[in-house]
Amino acid sequence: MEEFQLEQMEQETEAMLRIRYLKDGDAVFEKVGNGFLSLCLGEEYYPRVNVVRMFPFSDSQKFISIRNAEEKQEEIGIIEDLDTMSPKKKEMLLEQLSLRYFTPVILKVRNIKDEYGYSYWDVVTDRGECKFTVKMGGKSISHLSEERVLIMDIDENRFEIPDVSKMTPAERKKLDLFL
Amino acid sequence: MILKFELNQENRNLCGLKENEEIFYCLPLDLDFSGNYRKNSYLVVTDNRILILEEGFLTGDYPLEMWDCVKSEAGIGCGIVYGERKGEKVLLGRFSAKHQVRYSYLFRGVQILKQGRKEKVISPEYEKSCQKCGRALPGTSRCPKCGGKKEGLLYTFLEMVRPHKKMMAVILLLMFGATVVTLVDPAIRGYLVDDVLLREEKDYGAAVLCLLGMFLMSVGIVVINAAKSYLCTKLGSMISEDQRKKLFERIQMLSLSFINDRSPGELMNRIMWDTMRIKEFVGNVFCNMFTVAILFICVVIYMLVLNYKLAILAFLLVPVCVVVAMSVRRKIRTVFHIQGMKSDKVNENLQDVISGIAEVKSYGQETREAGRFERNTEELAKIQRANEIFFAVFYPTLGFLLGAGTYLVTFFGGREVLLGDMTPGRLLQFISYTSLLYQYVGWLTNTPRALMNLITSLERIGDVLNQEPSIRDGEDAVFHKVKGEIEFCNASFGYKSYQPVLEGVNLKVKPGEMIGFVGASGTGKSTMINLIMHLYEVDDGCLLVDGIDIRKIKLENYHSQIGVVLQENFLFSGTILNNIRFARPKATYEEVVRAAKMANAHDFICKTPDGYNTYVGENGHNLSGGERQRIAIARAILCDPAILILDEATASLDTESEYLIQQALGRLREGRTTFAIAHRLSTLKDADRLVVIDGHKIAEVGSHEELMKQQGIYYGLVQAQLQMQNRNKDLYAEIQ
Repeated sequence: MEEFQLEQMEQETEAMLRIRYLKDGDAVFEKVGNGFLSLCLGEEYYPRVNVVRMFPFSDSQKFISIRNAEEKQEEIGIIEDLDTMSPKKKEMLLEQLSLRYFTPVILKVRNIKDEYGYSYWDVVTDRGECKFTVKMGGKSISHLSEERVLIMDIDENRFEIPDVSKMTPAERKKLDLFL
Repeated sequence: MILKFELNQENRNLCGLKENEEIFYCLPLDLDFSGNYRKNSYLVVTDNRILILEEGFLTGDYPLEMWDCVKSEAGIGCGIVYGERKGEKVLLGRFSAKHQVRYSYLFRGVQILKQGRKEKVISPEYEKSCQKCGRALPGTSRCPKCGGKKEGLLYTFLEMVRPHKKMMAVILLLMFGATVVTLVDPAIRGYLVDDVLLREEKDYGAAVLCLLGMFLMSVGIVVINAAKSYLCTKLGSMISEDQRKKLFERIQMLSLSFINDRSPGELMNRIMWDTMRIKEFVGNVFCNMFTVAILFICVVIYMLVLNYKLAILAFLLVPVCVVVAMSVRRKIRTVFHIQGMKSDKVNENLQDVISGIAEVKSYGQETREAGRFERNTEELAKIQRANEIFFAVFYPTLGFLLGAGTYLVTFFGGREVLLGDMTPGRLLQFISYTSLLYQYVGWLTNTPRALMNLITSLERIGDVLNQEPSIRDGEDAVFHKVKGEIEFCNASFGYKSYQPVLEGVNLKVKPGEMIGFVGASGTGKSTMINLIMHLYEVDDGCLLVDGIDIRKIKLENYHSQIGVVLQENFLFSGTILNNIRFARPKATYEEVVRAAKMANAHDFICKTPDGYNTYVGENGHNLSGGERQRIAIARAILCDPAILILDEATASLDTESEYLIQQALGRLREGRTTFAIAHRLSTLKDADRLVVIDGHKIAEVGSHEELMKQQGIYYGLVQAQLQMQNRNKDLYAEIQ
C-alpha cells in the first residue's frame, strides 16, 4: 500500500511536468449531456473535460488546456492552436469555451450615471442590451493595453471594450471619468 | 439573498403546479447556451420537480428523484447549473455572474428536498443592489435611498445628538444669532447711506454710530461663526467618538461568523470612515444648514418687501446659478478623479519598484523600470499642468458668472435710483442680499449629496449596531470553573447552512487528556477546535463541558480558562511584557519571568537590548517565528488555562526552535486537557488518543499503537510520512 502511494505521487508529478500536445488525429471529442464534452484519447476516456484558455487576453485561440473535469482537474493535454483542429472539432471546442467564458463586448454606451461611489452603465453589447453597476475607484476597471479595457461590475460580470479610441466622441466623454 | 424570485401568472401556469405543490426555489437563467442575454427564463424547484422555463415556454420538467444531485459551477463571468444522475452530468442552464452565489445554495436545497424535508435554505449574504431602485447597496441589508424610512434615520441622528443636548441648544442659539447679524448688517449700511450720508443736515454722531454698529456686526459675525464652528466640530467629534465606541464594542461582541464574512478593512472603514463622515456632516453641513435655510427664507422675503420687481429679476437667475454650480462641481470632481487615478498609478509603480528592488537589480531591469516610471510621471505632470491652468481660468470665470446676477440687479436697480423710484441705500442693501442669495444657492446644491452620504453612513453603522450576536450569554448562563472534560454529543456544524463541515460527531475527552486531531486539510480539524473554543455553536446536537452544555457557561468566564497557541500567533503592538500579560494584566514580574522560563523564552528575551520592555510592532516584526511562538506559549502558561489548544503550534519552525517549543509545550500541557492539530504526525506522539477526521465524521479514534494495528487512514498517513523522511535521509546520505 505504502509503496503504491508514493509511486502514484511521483507519477503524478511527472505527468504534471510533461507538455503533451493534442493533435487533431488523436483526440476524439464527443458532445454529451446536453452541452458537455467527452474526450477519447487512444485508450484514455474522460467523460467530461474542461476547456481552458491559458492566455485569455493576449491569445484566446492558442494554447488551450484540456483538463479533466473530475476532482483533481489535471491537465490531459494542450491544443497549441485551435486552427490545427478540424472545423467540426474547432466548433465543439469554441462552444465549450463560450460556455465557460462570458465577456460581452460593449458596442455602444448609452449612458453612464455616477452616484454615491457607484456608476450605473446602460450599454449595448454583442450579447444584447445590458445595465450594470461598477464600484468607483479600486480595481474595477483595468487596462489590458492602451486601448483595450476590461470592466468588472459589482457581481463580477466582465465587459470588454476592445478599442476605446474607436468609440464616438460623445461616448468617450462619458467614459472619461473611468479611463 | 433572494433564492425565490416571484413568477408572473403566465409562468406559474406553465409550471402546472399540482395541489399542495410548492415552489421552493426559483432562480433566473439569464443567459442562453450561446451566451446571449435573455429575460423571463427561470429554473424552478418545487417539492418534487425541477422545471426549466425559457422565454415563455416550459422546456424541462424533471422529477426530483431522477437526479442524484444538482450542482452549479462557476465559469469566468458566468456559471452553469447541471444535474447528475448515475455519474452522468446533464447541463440544465446558464446564468451570469450576478446569480452565481444564489446557485451555490441550490445543491443543499435540492438535497434537503430529496430527503423529503421541507426546510428552506436561507442565504445570509446581502443583495448587491436594491431590488426596488437598482442602486448598489453599500454593504447593507437595506437600501439607504428607498429601503429605510427617512424619519427613522432622522430619529437615529437625533438619538445620537441627544446626549449632547446642552451643547446643541447653544449651537442653535448661535445659529439664530448668526442669522440676525447677517440680516441686520446690510440694513445698517442702507440706513447709513439713505438716512445719514444723503441727508441735508450733517449728523456726524449718527454716522459714527452707524460705523460702530457695522464694526460690531463684523466682529459679531466673526465671533459667532468661530464659536459655532468650534462647537459643531466638537459636537461632531463627540458624536463620532460615541459611535466609534459603540461599533467597536458591538464588533467585538459579534460572533466570528459575522466578522469572517467581512474583511477587516471593511469593518475598519465602518469604525473609522463612516463615523468620520458623521463628524464631517455635523461640522461642515449641519452647523450651517439651519442658518442657511433660515437666512435663505428671510432674504427672499426681505428682497420681496424691498422691491418685488427687482427681487423677481434676481430670482430668475437662480436656476442658472444652480445649473452652473452643479456642473462646476461635476467637472471639478472629474478633473480630480482623473488626476487621482494617474497619481495612484505613479504611486503603485513606485511602490512596486521599491519593494521589489532586489528583483529589479538582480535581473538587471533598472533601465526598463526607469523608463516606465518616467512615462508615468510625465503623464501625471501633464495632467497636473492642465489642471492648474484649468483652475486658474476656471475660478475667476465662475465668480464672474455667479456675480452676473448682481450686475444685472445693479443695472436695473441703478436705473430705478436714477429715476427716483428707489433710494441708493435700499439698492445697496438689496445688492448685498442678492449676493447672499446666490451664495446660499450654491451652498444648498451641495446638501443633497451631503445628506445622502450621511444616510449611507448611518445605514452602514446601524447595520452593525442592529446586528444581534448569534453567540451570547443566555439568561441562565453561569460561572463555572472548568475541570476539562469535553464531550461532543451527536454534534453537527457548518459555517454556511448549505455546507456541512461536521456531521453527527461523538467524542468524550477526560480531564487532562491530550487529544491529537489528524486528517487532511479542510476535513474539519480546526472546526472542532473552533467549537471547543466556543467561537461557533453547534447547529445540531450539543457540546458538554464537565457535563454542562457549553451554551450555559458565561462566555467571558469560559474563554478566560482556555489557552491557545497557533501556528501564526498574533502579537499586539506593545512590549513583550504586555504581550505575555495579555490575558492577565495584573501578573507580577516573577510570574511573567517564570512563565517565560517555562516557555524557553526567557533567555532570548534577556538577549534583546530592552529585555521584557522590547517593543514588538504590529505582528512582532522584529522577532523570528520561533520567538513569537515562545512568547505566545508564555502567554498561555501565564493564564493557566484548564483547556489548551495547539493548532499547528510547531509547524514552520526550524529544528532547534521546534525542540525548544516541544519542550515548552510539554511543560505547559501537564494537567490540562489538550487538543492539538499537527500535520507532522511525530508532533502528536505524546497524545493519549488520536482522532482521525474524514468525510465530516470521526473516522478513527485510539492511541498511536491501536490505530497502527487497525491499518486504516492513520496507518496510511504515517507510512506516507515515514517514506518521505526515509527518502530525505537517502538524499542526505547521498550528499554526504
